[in-house]
Amino acid sequence: MGISRDSRHKRSHTGAKRAQYRKKRKFELGRQPGHTKLGGPKRIHEVRVRGGNKKFRALRLDSGNFSWGSEAISKKTRLLAVVYNASNNELVRTNTLVKGAVIQIDATPFRQWYEAHYAQPIGRKKKKEGQVESEELSKKRSKHVQRKIESRKEEAKVDFLLEDQFVTGRLYAIISSRPGQSGRADGYILEGKELEFYVKKIKSKK
Amino acid sequence: MSEQIERAYQKQPGIFTNAKITRKKAKNKNNRWIKDVGLGFKTPKEAVEGHYIDKKCPWAGMVSIRGRILNGVVVSTKMKRTIIVRREYLHYITKYNRYEKRHKNVAAHLSPAFIGVQPGDTVTLGQCRPLSKTVRFNVLKVQKKVQKGSKKFAKF
Repeated sequence: MGISRDSRHKRSHTGAKRAQYRKKRKFELGRQPGHTKLGGPKRIHEVRVRGGNKKFRALRLDSGNFSWGSEAISKKTRLLAVVYNASNNELVRTNTLVKGAVIQIDATPFRQWYEAHYAQPIGRKKKKEGQVESEELSKKRSKHVQRKIESRKEEAKVDFLLEDQFVTGRLYAIISSRPGQSGRADGYILEGKELEFYVKKIKSKK
Repeated sequence: MSEQIERAYQKQPGIFTNAKITRKKAKNKNNRWIKDVGLGFKTPKEAVEGHYIDKKCPWAGMVSIRGRILNGVVVSTKMKRTIIVRREYLHYITKYNRYEKRHKNVAAHLSPAFIGVQPGDTVTLGQCRPLSKTVRFNVLKVQKKVQKGSKKFAKF
């Protein structure tokens, strides 16, 4: 292939063309990009790199570990779709997972945790009659656990924009790992100003 | 704010801005991370109070200043967040026992903490890791050009 990362082929600061005086060296090598795609069974290839170490080139991923910053928890969730990429719209169209890509993730593990932790419904549509409460909400709890839940009551408020996303079951998150290097698509749920920024960008694109 | 010009959200990587509001009301002041560059260089006020995001800024970014410290005169400020600095020196010719003037241009990164840097100002540069193809220095101190008397005539 011959991808090299040297600067000997580039013109110098003054604009002079540099003569080639040696061949490409192995320590200057570059490899083909991985273009990790979303979906399908997980596919990760191992690459032997300089020093005998390993890199895990993820080629297909469908789940990742995402953290909810303001609640300080992380859950493993399914990835649903790539929604925005600041560098290249092509990567959105082809559902390519890269660091910094804004994606939609499955909200159910977070909703389950929230309802178990705060014993309050989140993102549930109001049903008129015959309302069937979720198992976690209506579970019988010991007195010790009840006291803990009472003490957490004031902190249970979730930001409006986030709660909306729970209704649809899809949360906006951003990938903060490098899938082509570590083989994982991990990240954090977008909140606050960052969430507003990206929601605006996504809307203006549509 | 107005510093979100790019297509990706600009922020300082280590700062968490989304803590729950119901918890103890966080100090309303700027949730910003600043570091001291060392070597006796003062942190500009604009770096501490400003809202700019610059990962190559020596105070609000991820670069460390080490190695050489150089001085020079600003030649051009037309690039985005970087300037060209001209360093003059004398080269000795042994045959004639005399000197000749020579100069080298250095590209340096200019943090948004410095506002109003004009060609002609004297500038102190600190060496850092390569920031781009030609930039290996970062501006640490700016001394405005002294106008002798009150010269009203300016370029604009």
